[in-house]
Amino acid sequence: MPRHTKRMPLRRTAIACAALVGILMFASMLWGAGSLTVLQSLQALLGRGSEEAIFIVHELRGPRTVLAVLVGLALGASGTIMQSATRNPLAEPGLLGVSAGASFAVVLAIYFGADSVGLHFSIAILGSLAGCFLVLMTTQLRGAGADPVRLVLAGAAFSSILIAVTTLILLHDQRTADEIRFWVIGALGGRPTSNLVWAAPGILGGLVLVAITTPALAALSLGEKVALGLGHRPAFTRLLAMTGVAILVGTATAAAGPIAFAGLIVPYFARRLVGPDVRRALPIAMVLGPSVVLLSDILSRLAVRPYELPIGVVTACIGAPVLIAVVRSHRLPRL
Amino acid sequence: MNSTSMKSSIRGPRGFWLLGGGNISILVNQRGVWAGTFLLCLLVLTALWSLTAGTPALTLAETIGALIGAGEGFNVFMIQELRLPRIVAGILSGAALGVGGCLLQTLARNRLATPGIIGIDDGATAFAVASIVAIPTSLAPPMLALIGAATAAALAFGLGGGGSRGYRFIVVGIAIGALFGALTNFMLARTDIDSANLAYPWTVGSLNARSASTVALLAGCVAICLPIAKILGRDLQLLRFSDAVAVGLGTRVKRTRLAILIVTVCLTAFAVAVAGPVGLVSLAAPEIARHLTGHRGVPVINSAWAGAWIMTAADWVGRTVFAPVEIPVGVITAVIGGPYLLWILLREPRRTA
Amino acid sequence: MDTSTRTSANGLTQTMDISTTPASGQKAARAYPPTELSTKDLSLGYGERKIVDQLSLCIPPGKVTAIVGPNGCGKSTLLAGLARILTPRSGTVLLDGRAISSMSTREVAHKLALLPQDASAPDGLTVEELIQFGRQPYRGLMRQWSAQDAAIVQAALKATQLETLADRPLDALSGGQRQRAWIAMTVAQDTPLLLLDEPTSALDLGHQIEVLELVRKLSNQGKTVIMVIHDLPSACRYADHLIAIHRGAIIAEGKPADIVTEALVERLYGVRCTLLSEPGTGAPLIINPVSIRHEND
Repeated sequence: MPRHTKRMPLRRTAIACAALVGILMFASMLWGAGSLTVLQSLQALLGRGSEEAIFIVHELRGPRTVLAVLVGLALGASGTIMQSATRNPLAEPGLLGVSAGASFAVVLAIYFGADSVGLHFSIAILGSLAGCFLVLMTTQLRGAGADPVRLVLAGAAFSSILIAVTTLILLHDQRTADEIRFWVIGALGGRPTSNLVWAAPGILGGLVLVAITTPALAALSLGEKVALGLGHRPAFTRLLAMTGVAILVGTATAAAGPIAFAGLIVPYFARRLVGPDVRRALPIAMVLGPSVVLLSDILSRLAVRPYELPIGVVTACIGAPVLIAVVRSHRLPRL
Repeated sequence: MNSTSMKSSIRGPRGFWLLGGGNISILVNQRGVWAGTFLLCLLVLTALWSLTAGTPALTLAETIGALIGAGEGFNVFMIQELRLPRIVAGILSGAALGVGGCLLQTLARNRLATPGIIGIDDGATAFAVASIVAIPTSLAPPMLALIGAATAAALAFGLGGGGSRGYRFIVVGIAIGALFGALTNFMLARTDIDSANLAYPWTVGSLNARSASTVALLAGCVAICLPIAKILGRDLQLLRFSDAVAVGLGTRVKRTRLAILIVTVCLTAFAVAVAGPVGLVSLAAPEIARHLTGHRGVPVINSAWAGAWIMTAADWVGRTVFAPVEIPVGVITAVIGGPYLLWILLREPRRTA
Repeated sequence: MDTSTRTSANGLTQTMDISTTPASGQKAARAYPPTELSTKDLSLGYGERKIVDQLSLCIPPGKVTAIVGPNGCGKSTLLAGLARILTPRSGTVLLDGRAISSMSTREVAHKLALLPQDASAPDGLTVEELIQFGRQPYRGLMRQWSAQDAAIVQAALKATQLETLADRPLDALSGGQRQRAWIAMTVAQDTPLLLLDEPTSALDLGHQIEVLELVRKLSNQGKTVIMVIHDLPSACRYADHLIAIHRGAIIAEGKPADIVTEALVERLYGVRCTLLSEPGTGAPLIINPVSIRHEND
């Protein structure tokens, strides 16, 4: 029995989500793991207060907030497109091993001595392309659509292989281990500001690619045969879309490390708000993504003061219930 | 066929030997026996080989001698006190994981539903780590591992539709596993470096640091659970059909499922308590067992042998390949088992079960 | 004639005659004790939805009863309730006067066999192995196989004419053959009651007739058969007793020739038609159907 689902109007929802981003950005500047009080942070934001406070707020939290927004943009969009391209509501870059591919590529690069940040970004994109290739292969199988779990498990297998090989490398080479140990945990803090310079064009490029494929993806949701009948080319569309996803995920991972579940949470809520049509869900996901990542980042700073939690812990705590909710709805939603 | 002549020449169904006849009759799967013998021989050979390896390496003759107490005192000591306990731990934990995987796969009617994927491993690890770094408790880590495994299983089972719907069970299990994994990271992030180092062996599958008392617990658990699993095997066979068919044939489906879950949780918890979360043994062992045993019945015992063999072989590889650096057995199983899992996933054209 | 003797749980000695002389069409005299299945104010549902409400019926023993009705009327749900697959919300199902919920599921399996709609078997299972599972309710931990089990399995193969296919895997059979194999399993279960849920839905005409003739044959041997079937003409042709369900309630019950009227067809299916009587069987045939289903139906 179809349930009558409420759908919010697109423009109003987008504006509301954008407002939320603004509020969270503000909050991100004010709260932190250190000993700075909110009032002191506020003063520093306005340019007053101690030098240390100004440094923390402007040089540390500022770039961190911007990074969170960019990463949220990338992960939200890539999760939505991935789910649309695979027609699988459980698909997301972290679970499917795309993030793992990107981070493994960077680990390899560091191991082999590559040092420049720009190189890291390009290599990360190559790594996530490998992960996307695996995803694409799985979608070509007969019956894979009927068994959405298989995709998730393939991604999990892929990730576990990469993690194991990474551990091997860490055991083997102490220098790499020191550099990687910091990098391989997804975290927004402590990243060089140059990351932002490299991240922005990558994310922009990925978004453009993804936006181009959106109308075709919407037709794909009606089924491959129907889409063919309407004159689309499903395989090419998927390829293009996943390349966009690879660029987005690769860039985000190179900038902030692998962050799982963000790409699952954002599309889920976006679809709950405006319905399953990817043409509507994508813009909302792009605006919702930064909120989710900002919120997770703020929580990661506050949860275990004065230490910081890896952001992956927070996203997992939010994402796991979302995953359970998705699968407990009576049928797995067909995308 | 005339019933009066049956008694003298009764044969079991095709593929089975019939022991007894009359009031007591037991069926034995022929192919299962051959497969089991093969796996057991393989296990013994691998275990012996692993015993010879290390620094210093011994010859096979010296090793066998040392096992029975003959030969140089030093060799005897090294074999019996140092290497043998590790091999035994590997065999026991591998067997436990193999059986757990076999049981859970059959319960969920899905070959991909194994304790590691369902989050039972992560639950056991999280609680065990908690006992070391967070909550001061008088309970030893293995008992907490048991409680953690039970909690994770209960959550996955309860939220996942009682195991009758395979895929839902798996996905909820993945989510539960991720939650517990995050919880473990959370605790490790909070604590000081010393406690973190203490807890570290629990987070990676390794046969290096295990305590004799825990191994004894595992041995006891295996000794009790293996016969129970075999007895449950009859009802377990019927769970491979759809629920309606099983009930129609008089199976108490809910009760059997619960019993199987309890056995799986116990086996997995103690295996993790001994060896840490070693992935993919519980996935690969039943596959190998089923491949060798065929489709008749549920290969509980053969999964135990296969699991024990995988653990022993992986441990041997980890100890020798990059000697003297030791690679944890969990890494080996992931590096080899991962592609194997991918191969299963990518070549299987039909719905599992 | 083949016979195999067995003593049932309550001490009655029963003889299972599986006479197989199709040419003569002889019906073997047989003795399953007349087993009564009935319900009293039975309510069934899934989640919050109530599908069957306060339904009381009594299945005539020794006959073929067909339960018919439009999609979603609750007939499969009713069968699930009768077979104790589904726990009732309220009311009881009575098997020989005893509440079925008070009997152990094994005890029920000695009296009642079920063939569900989408029965699935593990991969690689052969026909004979499937039929052997029919003996499961009689096997124990220490008594896993007996001469009687072997004989009954062979008899079931013979009754369903699957002897030549005994070693074939189920997946290699045609739809009709596969259904016969599942029915053979219920035959091996050796119960007085047999419940079938849509045994012919996925089959073509030839296989449908094949299966329904087998059902008829089993009934002639004394089994009480209850089948849910959506094809009204088949139901009329092969059933002795018809129960018409609409929206979870019985709207007509009795012999097909008596109760199937044009008014009933219109009420059940929203189809206006003319009914003819089939020469030979007296079963009602539908001709010139016209859909008159309204939007708010």
